[in-house]
Amino acid sequence: MRAERGILAVFEEPGAAAEAIRMLRDRGIRDLHVGMPSPFPEVVAALSKPRSAIDYATLPGALLGLLIGILLPVLTSLSWPLVTGGKEIVSLPAFAVIFFEMTVLVGSLTNLVAVTVRSFLGGGGGAFPRDEAFNGDRLAVFAAGGGDEAEHVFRAAGAGEVRRVG
Amino acid sequence: MSTAARFRSIEDTVRGTHGKPGPTYWVLLAVSAATFGFGAWAYSLIVRTGLHWTGLRRPGMWGNLITDFVFWVGIAHSGTLISAILFLFRARFRTAVYRVSEMMTVFAVLTAGLYPVLHLGRPWFAYWLFPYPNQRHLWVNFRSPLVWDVFAVSTYLTVSAIFLVVGMAPDFGSLRDRASGWRRRLYAIFSFVWRGTDEQWRHYTRAYLFFAAFATPLVVSVHSVVSWDFAVSILPGWHSTLFPPYFVAGAILSGVAMVITILVPLRRAFRLEALVTQRHVDMLVRLVQLTSAIITYSYATEILLVLPRPASDPERATFLYRMTGDYAPLFWLMVTCNCVGPVLLYFRRVRHSVAALLTICVAVNVGMWLERFNIIVTSLAHDRLPFDWRVYVPSWVEWAITVGAFGWFFMLFLIGLKIFPSVSISEMKEEVAREAAGEVSHAG
Repeated sequence: MRAERGILAVFEEPGAAAEAIRMLRDRGIRDLHVGMPSPFPEVVAALSKPRSAIDYATLPGALLGLLIGILLPVLTSLSWPLVTGGKEIVSLPAFAVIFFEMTVLVGSLTNLVAVTVRSFLGGGGGAFPRDEAFNGDRLAVFAAGGGDEAEHVFRAAGAGEVRRVG
Repeated sequence: MSTAARFRSIEDTVRGTHGKPGPTYWVLLAVSAATFGFGAWAYSLIVRTGLHWTGLRRPGMWGNLITDFVFWVGIAHSGTLISAILFLFRARFRTAVYRVSEMMTVFAVLTAGLYPVLHLGRPWFAYWLFPYPNQRHLWVNFRSPLVWDVFAVSTYLTVSAIFLVVGMAPDFGSLRDRASGWRRRLYAIFSFVWRGTDEQWRHYTRAYLFFAAFATPLVVSVHSVVSWDFAVSILPGWHSTLFPPYFVAGAILSGVAMVITILVPLRRAFRLEALVTQRHVDMLVRLVQLTSAIITYSYATEILLVLPRPASDPERATFLYRMTGDYAPLFWLMVTCNCVGPVLLYFRRVRHSVAALLTICVAVNVGMWLERFNIIVTSLAHDRLPFDWRVYVPSWVEWAITVGAFGWFFMLFLIGLKIFPSVSISEMKEEVAREAAGEVSHAG
């Protein structure tokens, strides 16, 4: 896969990185990607990216869990109809615990699969340079396709290091 | 100090906990492993020759092993409370202490999960507890609280373990980048190719929120389900609608007391004072005070509701037996540990004294173990049939299993400390950045 071309700027302060992102966006440079050791709120706000769509996997997963939670005790109780403790064969109050636990279990497992696909295993890397990782003490902003103007903005915002990538 | 330098300091402090272990660590690990080994050997006696090694006789067919089960499920509670519930409430003090609590949760559920199996007469048939297709079309009884337990505890273990492992991925990413050898390979696996891009964070933070949202009702549900093991029966002393909130509050009390018991020596041994400050400990102490007050109220409610009843009432007889009968010293020791001890924490000098704080927290855990023993054993020993009354005394084999479980728990914990980051690196960095931004805006 061909590396994306652009300008990579390294910052020590999240506030400076957020300021650089805002300045670039004001100038119409919007294909911006960040590598950072923590989801700094000011940087996330400056990027203004839409909310993750993981909801669309997790909610159906939880509903599937609820369905399994209902079907499992109801169908198995009907399959072997043994009265215990004077309770109904299909005893919904007693089964509510199973409904709840299966909803949470399958919902959590679906959430795990969704975050693994979308965020882990490199799936969430986006256009950020693949051989770069900023998990330590600094953060980096990558302006994909950015040229001299992006470089100038980064330097004006106080980037410690600015280089061309790709 | 610049923000970047503070980030480096956090990483260095956490990496310091993974340094070469000293003799104290090895001694503690050896004692834990030996204790666990002794407990396992004692249990092997039961497996080989039967439950006659226990003190279980009619009517007391539940004793130490079920007490231990409820105790360890309770210990597991605080981790999810601190990591998930306080996350949803945006309580910042959790950042420094939640990782240790989460580790404790997972290891405590692993311990608790052993007990339903240990308690079985034929543990090799433990898989019968799970619904699986079979040629006789036999299914588990979903109307039984014991099956609810299986679902509740296994779900809690799964979700807690996922929450812990997913929560550590960014930290493993930062540790991986500066590690070498087997640690680098291990951290590479658990970091799931984490690079810290904004795309990764965007999905990760959303997923983490959902994990917290799923885990939060679990905290309430798991111990409520455990309490229903007792409350849905008709035994005097067990058949009470008060049990779910009473059990949940008790679980949080014992769990937070255990977190303090572990965290206070840990911060000193690993020099974590810069990350886990006195304020964090004070906030945990407040949780102990709050839940102790709820527990005290629950004890009082239980007793005051039954005392005005007629003398022939079995509930009244059971409670009077608890307070004045064969097990009365254990009852009053429980009240002292759970209700009186935490009151001393209102005094600053007491809660800032490491020895006093640890003594009170250990006492709370002793008290909470006794609470479960009192509920389970005194109710069974003094049921509706006077000809059946009998005092249950745990055998040495049961005590060995009880102590062995502590060995198992601490052995896992000590190993975990040397592998997992005991403080969340990424969240601490976020806190530092937030503080730095606050300082800048103040200066501005």
